[in-house]
Amino acid sequence: MPREAEPSLNERQFVLQALQDSIRLDGRELDQYRPLELTFGDQYGVADVTLGKTRVLAKASAELTVPYADRPLDGIFNIATELSPMTSPAFEVNRPTETEVLISRLLEKTVRRSGALDTESLCLVAGQKCWSIRVDVHVLSHDGNLIDAACFAVVAALRHFRKPDTSMEGGVLTVYTPAEREPVPLSWLHSPFCVTWSFFGEEGDIALLDATWMEEQVRSGSCTISLNKHGEICQIAKLGGVPVEAVSLLQCTNVALIKAKDMSSKLDKWLAEDAKRRDKGGLLAELSAENDRVPDI
Amino acid sequence: MTVTTAPEAALGVLPRADGSAKYSHAGYTVTASVNGPIEAQRRDEHPYEAHVDVIVRPAAGVGSTRERHLESILQSSLTQIILVKNFPRSLIQIVLQVEDTPENDYVNTKLVQASLNFAIMPALFQTAVLALLSAGVPMRATATATAVAIVPQDGTKTSVVDPSPRDAEIAQSVHVLAFTSHDELLLAESEGDFTVKEWDDVYETAKQVCCRPVPAKEGMEMVLDDEHTNGPDLRHFLRSTMEQKVASDLHWK
Repeated sequence: MPREAEPSLNERQFVLQALQDSIRLDGRELDQYRPLELTFGDQYGVADVTLGKTRVLAKASAELTVPYADRPLDGIFNIATELSPMTSPAFEVNRPTETEVLISRLLEKTVRRSGALDTESLCLVAGQKCWSIRVDVHVLSHDGNLIDAACFAVVAALRHFRKPDTSMEGGVLTVYTPAEREPVPLSWLHSPFCVTWSFFGEEGDIALLDATWMEEQVRSGSCTISLNKHGEICQIAKLGGVPVEAVSLLQCTNVALIKAKDMSSKLDKWLAEDAKRRDKGGLLAELSAENDRVPDI
Repeated sequence: MTVTTAPEAALGVLPRADGSAKYSHAGYTVTASVNGPIEAQRRDEHPYEAHVDVIVRPAAGVGSTRERHLESILQSSLTQIILVKNFPRSLIQIVLQVEDTPENDYVNTKLVQASLNFAIMPALFQTAVLALLSAGVPMRATATATAVAIVPQDGTKTSVVDPSPRDAEIAQSVHVLAFTSHDELLLAESEGDFTVKEWDDVYETAKQVCCRPVPAKEGMEMVLDDEHTNGPDLRHFLRSTMEQKVASDLHWK
């Protein structure tokens, strides 16, 4: 497949020179994100995130399967990222590039390893049947900062998703279809978000958030911090690149916390809007199969 | 949950692809990107024509046999309408991303299924054609496609255009037909038990949906025979989408 056209020397120098004067090509502040938009699909578990021109679609799905032999009480949870030629003709199907591997690993550590989804709740019959939750991340358009957009999409898709309801009576497991019983949400513990800083210059002294594709091509280093709105850090990844002062890295984490809180409140707002849109006439409360908590008198 | 009955399309949705389109109809939403003609890999190079590469990515799961089968069907039909002889040793890459499929509320779906999903084929085909038009790839004709299922209903068999997953499940046979803008049959795939007479009826129904003549400019004699129109007028839809896009592109004139 043809290689991606690299930015010319002129473009490179232009971007770097502008950054020396703290000017970004699209006029943003150094710590300002592009407008973040999120749309949910008609189905549960489909989240379409646009961050400027970057567009990422995440879809969550569930399937019944056998749990791993060494973890009989846990369900299975996988995140699959595959960059297709839709992102750029430079990407081939079935041939993972460095970008793809990095995104995969970062999402794994952020969402899976941090225990955002409670896998024990996915187990139905110990050692025999469990839910396998799978999130597919499709990158439709790449204009920089795929990691932040992909993480936001994954978290949104998982919080939006509903898995089929099940019941266990006398050793017989019944899985209800969506027509029989309304599907139930997943057991979600905390929402982690990724914030990626890009460093420029010989000393790595210029740091900015949410780099566009052009800015990503000329950067000299980057650092991804994953944290949730409570300030609990899931991971910090600075894979090579120009050495950065420890103090400025700490300042980056402080700003990252502010951005994570902002992203978290936006996600909550969008989820609430979507719930209201689907819950026409307040009937959704009637569809739940749970009994009301009746206080003991 | 909510199924839109009228088709909707948007062109040029992906900024970095040569051409792109997003199409939704009957619950299916597909985004397509077209890149081409671009440099082909050595193994795909053809000395006298361009190679058309179709990639279908399902919404959930990795592509499996079913997607490969869809890809080969789409590739053979799209190669017929694209002017491949104009670009030897090149590649025209079409990537189709399925975003939304209508749910069958009566069944818990499994991710990997080997059998072909006919109902999605017209949506994939239509999105590919729209994306090719958006990319400006020379074609000898445009094409429209539709799916028809023969469903046994109260003892008799009725043909249903754009069957829902429930219809497709209980149908006796499902057919997908595509016609070019010159009223030629481009693609015909069928599955199930049916007689030749039933196929002929399906052919007539599909032809009516795909090849309705474009209405005259003076739209006073609008579609008066509403009871005969079975399904949306796809060719008119394709034309009006392109007209809108061209009008918005040239609005500065």
